[in-house]
Amino acid sequence: MNFYAHQVAQLREQLYAREHLTRQVMRGKAFMDRHFPEPITLAAVADEACLSKFHFLRLFKTFYGVTPRQYLTSVRIKHAQALLRAQTSVTETCFAVGFNSVTSFAGLFKTMTGTTPTAYRKKQSSRGKNRMGFGPSRRTR
Amino acid sequence: MKIKTTSVMVDDQSKALAFYTNTLGFVKKTEIPLGEHRWLTVVSKEEQDGVELLLEPMGFAPARTYQKALFEAGIPLTSFQVEDLDAEYERLTALGVVFSLTPTTMGVVRLAVLEDTCGNHIQIAQIL
Repeated sequence: MNFYAHQVAQLREQLYAREHLTRQVMRGKAFMDRHFPEPITLAAVADEACLSKFHFLRLFKTFYGVTPRQYLTSVRIKHAQALLRAQTSVTETCFAVGFNSVTSFAGLFKTMTGTTPTAYRKKQSSRGKNRMGFGPSRRTR
Repeated sequence: MKIKTTSVMVDDQSKALAFYTNTLGFVKKTEIPLGEHRWLTVVSKEEQDGVELLLEPMGFAPARTYQKALFEAGIPLTSFQVEDLDAEYERLTALGVVFSLTPTTMGVVRLAVLEDTCGNHIQIAQIL
């Protein structure tokens, strides 16, 4: 066993010996992956993991490095990007991925991706045209 | 300020390009001649506008020493994320890729470590 494999084995034993616990937290994550378009609460996710809210929150942060809320937001934003790429409207995207306010959606989107949903959507649409930026109408003249 | 480029040290840029594109599945992004070597980057097929991976030649001797030390210890130079680790492992093994660490679950991550034919161990990981 090389040095790295040994390190991995050691960490597994030190940090992740209780496999049933990690599996429970993973169930909570999978729940968020499936139900992100719905208005889900920490209570519902913790229930799915068969853990108290406090215990689930603490373990999730320990295993994934972010809070469940931060994770859920990232899942929603990722799906929002896919919808915007397909030219879905900003409003429709917002509600489709589980946000209930366009203002907060736009704010979170900008914080996480660096651009607004509108700008992102527009940028994706211009990709369909000729790379030099000339539209098809120019070429048919 | 953005994080736009990250790098892996390689002992042969052409060999690295072949491995990182044909085997790992990345896509060539930029290639700029710089005298003896090239500024050569690849990107993920799924994020072609994302972070670029620079295939960096080792013109600086101490880099070789470092690369060799990491390799001998089995320490991966970097880690790439995959959707399905076991499927990737099967796919890459079928392509002849050598793994120093077969798929292992560590907490909420499932990981494996492969040899990139250019002097490095590279980790691939899936978040469970």
